[in-house]
Amino acid sequence: MRAEPALRGEAVRVSPGDRGKRLRSWLTNPVAVLGLVTTAVLVVLVVMPLIGLIGTTLGTDGLDAWQKVLSGRLAPNLFWEPLANSLVIGSATAIGSVLIGSFMAWLVVMTDAPFRKTIAVLATLPFALPSFALALAWETVFRNDLIGGRVGLLQDLGLAVPDWLAWGTVPISATLIAHYYSLTFTLVAAGLATVNGSLTEAGEMAGATRARVARSIALPIVLPSIISGAMLAFAEGVSNFAAPALLGLPVRFQTLSTRLYGAIATGETERGFVLALLLIAIAAMVLFASTRVVGGRRSYATITGKGGRRSAISLDRWRWPLTLLAGLIALATTILPGLVLLMSSFARRTNSLTGGFTLHFWIGESDPGFAQGQRGILLNPTVIEAIWTTIGLGLAVAVCATTLGLAIGYVITRLKRPKFLSNALGILSFLPFLFPGVALGAAFIALFGRPIGPLPALYGTFAILVIAGAAYTLPFASQSGRAAVGQIATDLEEAATMTGAGLGRRMVRVVIPLAARGLLAGAVLVFVKMIRDLSLVVLLVTPATPLLSVMTYRYASEGFAQFATAITVLIAVISISATLLARRLESAAQPWSEAT
Amino acid sequence: MNVAEPGIVIEDLRKSFEGFNAVRGVDISVPQGAFLVLVGPSGCGKTTMLRMLAGLEQPTGGQIRFGDRTVATATGGSIAPGRRDAGLVFQSYALWPHMTVQANIEWPLKVAKQPSGRRKARVREVLELLGIAQLASRYPGEISGGQQQRVAIGRMIAPAPSVLLFDEPLSNLDAKLRVETRSELVRIHRATGATSVYVTHDQVEAMTMATHVALMRDGVVEQFGSPDDLLSDPASSFVATFIGTPPANVIPAVVSGGVARSGGKAIASLPPSVPTGPIDLMYRAESLRLAPGPAEGVLAAEFAESTPLAGRFLVSASVGGKRLSVIADDHPRVLAGDRIWIGFPGQPDGLFDSATGAKVLLEWAAGSPL
Amino acid sequence: MRSPSQRRVPVRAAIAVMALSGMLLTGCSSSTNEPPASDELDGLSLEELKAQALEEGSVVVYSFTSRIAAIEAAFEAEYPGIDLIGHDISATEQVARLKAESASGTTTADVAYIADAPIVIRDLVEPGILLPYVPARVADALPAEHSAPLPANRLSTKVLLYNEEANPDGPPVANLWELTEPEWNGKVVMVDPNVRGDYLDLMTEAVLRSDEFSSAYEELYGKSVQLDDGIQNAGEQWIKMLYDNGLILVDDTDAVNSAVGKMGQASPPVGFSSYSDLRDNEEEGWALQVAAGVAPASGIVFPAYLGLVAGGDHPAAARLFIDFAMGDDSETGGPGYAPLYVAGDYPTRTDIVPPDGALTLDELAAWVIDPAETITIRSDVADFLLTLE
Repeated sequence: MRAEPALRGEAVRVSPGDRGKRLRSWLTNPVAVLGLVTTAVLVVLVVMPLIGLIGTTLGTDGLDAWQKVLSGRLAPNLFWEPLANSLVIGSATAIGSVLIGSFMAWLVVMTDAPFRKTIAVLATLPFALPSFALALAWETVFRNDLIGGRVGLLQDLGLAVPDWLAWGTVPISATLIAHYYSLTFTLVAAGLATVNGSLTEAGEMAGATRARVARSIALPIVLPSIISGAMLAFAEGVSNFAAPALLGLPVRFQTLSTRLYGAIATGETERGFVLALLLIAIAAMVLFASTRVVGGRRSYATITGKGGRRSAISLDRWRWPLTLLAGLIALATTILPGLVLLMSSFARRTNSLTGGFTLHFWIGESDPGFAQGQRGILLNPTVIEAIWTTIGLGLAVAVCATTLGLAIGYVITRLKRPKFLSNALGILSFLPFLFPGVALGAAFIALFGRPIGPLPALYGTFAILVIAGAAYTLPFASQSGRAAVGQIATDLEEAATMTGAGLGRRMVRVVIPLAARGLLAGAVLVFVKMIRDLSLVVLLVTPATPLLSVMTYRYASEGFAQFATAITVLIAVISISATLLARRLESAAQPWSEAT
Repeated sequence: MNVAEPGIVIEDLRKSFEGFNAVRGVDISVPQGAFLVLVGPSGCGKTTMLRMLAGLEQPTGGQIRFGDRTVATATGGSIAPGRRDAGLVFQSYALWPHMTVQANIEWPLKVAKQPSGRRKARVREVLELLGIAQLASRYPGEISGGQQQRVAIGRMIAPAPSVLLFDEPLSNLDAKLRVETRSELVRIHRATGATSVYVTHDQVEAMTMATHVALMRDGVVEQFGSPDDLLSDPASSFVATFIGTPPANVIPAVVSGGVARSGGKAIASLPPSVPTGPIDLMYRAESLRLAPGPAEGVLAAEFAESTPLAGRFLVSASVGGKRLSVIADDHPRVLAGDRIWIGFPGQPDGLFDSATGAKVLLEWAAGSPL
Repeated sequence: MRSPSQRRVPVRAAIAVMALSGMLLTGCSSSTNEPPASDELDGLSLEELKAQALEEGSVVVYSFTSRIAAIEAAFEAEYPGIDLIGHDISATEQVARLKAESASGTTTADVAYIADAPIVIRDLVEPGILLPYVPARVADALPAEHSAPLPANRLSTKVLLYNEEANPDGPPVANLWELTEPEWNGKVVMVDPNVRGDYLDLMTEAVLRSDEFSSAYEELYGKSVQLDDGIQNAGEQWIKMLYDNGLILVDDTDAVNSAVGKMGQASPPVGFSSYSDLRDNEEEGWALQVAAGVAPASGIVFPAYLGLVAGGDHPAAARLFIDFAMGDDSETGGPGYAPLYVAGDYPTRTDIVPPDGALTLDELAAWVIDPAETITIRSDVADFLLTLE
């Protein structure tokens, strides 16, 4: 029997005369105050940009765009078909990521599979690679002669690769799954890690088969993580531009993201914003539906005041086959694209692994006969400066977003009343994903362009990049914050309340240490997302703050693909290092959970 | 210990959650130093009561006083949990998994801003009182359930609160440990001199530990009194069937012409003042007998099981789907499902209204032990 | 210099929500609609500008090309004491950023060096966010079409390229209509015009040049072109037939270049890309060549604009930079122009000699677009393209 959580906004008697008193007593609840503050922050970071976005589409051009997008002769090609494609890609990404990510997480966390640690490390890495590296890896193997130019390995070997395998839905979905399963892996593994061994043992003692234990005991406990992972993968899949652009356009496979990008790039801004709003609306509906499916139960308290040890499930004869399968998936999604990316940065010729290799793009001195005299990136002081700025920005955003995500997660899981507040926070914090970076950037210029009261104008400063970055990466931070806090049994906090500890003290001494693992995992996602993102920062960045992602773009747009690739490798290396470092910290942060 | 001094006073306490009335007007008063047990089936409101005492829930009606301090009222002005001078042991123990045993126990003292030296001394004292000094540097995940339980108690009593609250603290322990811990808890209760409130669904715990018992059902107190009161004079058929080892039997019967019949058999003759119609008869297990065969005033029953009990046997059998307990001198020597006969040798031990379950007071019964 | 009060938005005290919506409802904000004040700086000599620019001390430039870094170095060498702060921002994002900055009154840049001319005219020139400044020094050598509405210093191309290795005798086609024949099915590559503005400009120009497409058709087939249902003109007809003939759309010009140019292909496709990309042939192992002389034209030539940002903080230095980026009085435009002096791109100034190693503009025979006219039907063409996919 679980006790009702005590931290609800207390104000119960429903008599109209009491309203003032009710409100006052609600306001004395520090959790409620935190809820209000958090909401206010989200209003600035999410609602106001959203209002701006909507406002833009209400002018003459905007209304015209609404009409064209939703009805008339353009609608099928402009909206409906791309919508269908986006939903297919998004769903495939979500389902595929959940299946593969959960499988790997289960294998790594719950079983006695050999090389678990190695697989665990590898499985967190695909997200740290740029999505185009995975698309490129796919091309390296499967590209056929549809476009002309080079072909992939299979075609090189004389095998005819059909178009469906080289272009369109299948390769796009596969690429995105390969990229984003590491998201679900990270979240589900964090969830599974908190499954008390006695729970599964109890199931096994009761005579249930292992499969049944997995299904009926472990699954419900990690379901919230799975749903979170699925939602993030869905949103990422729907909003990803690189994969559908690279692998879809040649067969005229358009998604909402390619349409949205195209509309903005060709000056049809309002149309792009209309598409973005529709995307946001759809995602909000999907999110809403998913919350309904799990019956509002977003998490189960699995970190409780009762200790427990975990023992590995023995795989017996499945030990090696399953390990092999997981190992292959991990290698195919990390080492292969990683190598392709790395080799491309050494390739003398753009995206060609057969035209010879050179170190010039990394460490070459200026040579007028080569790459128009550009020096290798490691000799370019701007690049070196950009590395540090990028890391600084990533860290600052990770800290801010994670703090905010913790507050959101806390309010959502602890403040039961009024319900709409936590629902609203949940949905709002998910939406920034689907904002076009340009729209969000423009909104922040408007918001922080000039002084607000005593605050100075932030535009052109590092601070605005951090604020905008925190808004942009909020979905990762809030999802992980929510999962992490939700796993902490409320009575652990109540026990602290009983001793007279206030909200701040409970946060610092109880919630944060216990949520550290999940928060850290979320912070890494934020960091990685931030340091490679371009569309948002390019509008806000200043020359004083050179960033690697901007430099990639700079080189790429000038046709120096290898320089761009080399910098992408740098970004990937930083991302991977951060991911690995975080894993070390996770174990260090929670010595008690490693105890046997 | 001054028994007259008020310990905990609960007046017309109410709590509703979104239209659901969990507690519907409870009045209880126990003196300082009492051990009050709130007992009742799941969902009776006992845990909600405890949480209101702790301050983790706000009452929607009534008030609570600890000694002469009003700690909670429905109209606001409640004292925060940490300022009530009360401690709580959670059902799950709620030990902080990231802190050692030492740190868990020390935390409340830190929050109370006690100086380090005093804290350390007190923690040592508590660890020794509970016999877990050797566990000080372990994490909760590294010690057994019983040890965790002690740590939870230690954390509660470290700041020496004057009110101790227990939320089913024994439910996670195995049977043997549970019995031992019961007396251990009473010992600690006495050692601290505090007033305790203890929530359980296990009436044995209530009967063995309490100085005062409140049996709750559907958000109200069905009966409040000493364990002996509840046992000897149950206020309703619900109390009768909830309390006691084994609980009393309540047999539905129909009265006509001063004779109570059950299943068509006349099993007891009642005074004429008992109105004609249905009534529930209470028989304690020791008031029934096994009969050798069918006879007048004997009911046929289906044998279920027989448990040795202090040299005799507790026999369970069902009559018309209703389970009855009988204390017999010998094992009936039949198998489960076989037929046995149960006789009703004397007057019933009590009568209850079959509609309301309330005790029926009779003139002839007044003062005479039935 | 204009007084601050002219620049400030009157609704200064308006709450942030209003500012935000106002900002995004671009062009409706009061600040952007103010007529540009006549500016005495336009009449200053180079020396006078330099003196004033030195006082200003710096100049902020948004540039769509990363070569701004090289120009920056050259500028600072020429004018020590004036710090050039170059931002490398794509045209699309420059438009968004300049609009947002203007609306929120936080003008940051002094000069915008920007492509996407049609959009620039509609979104930046017409609302008065970008102003023209043509240095008197170069005015005579700058043809009228390249000095208004903004001065352009360079022309880039999107023209038909083919694989010279597979077609040593010259372009495999002589007429763009041939690309709609079965022989070329699935063998024409270009960047999706609904993703990249310059390709949309190319398609728009095809519609604007319908008459020439019509004549080219007659030239090739000896009869006049038959328009399908719903098709307005010969340009649209060509586009439609091109799409129906398995036109391959990709996401960037590199993909076009490598598809068309890669050596060792038996029957390589043709595709539209930048003439100046031929300079990468050797490095990348390509055999790209331009299909100059195809009828009715090999593609388009479009300008890169230098715009003065209204209300910039360094108006004199801004003008000094524009003067510098227009090239000096030497034949190659000097150090300020050197980073842009690339075969396949064309100086707008008639007194700068086009770089060696490329055809002259006349030989290239591509259409020089008129951005002001392009913008009138560009959206319609984009919509038309949407119906073809």
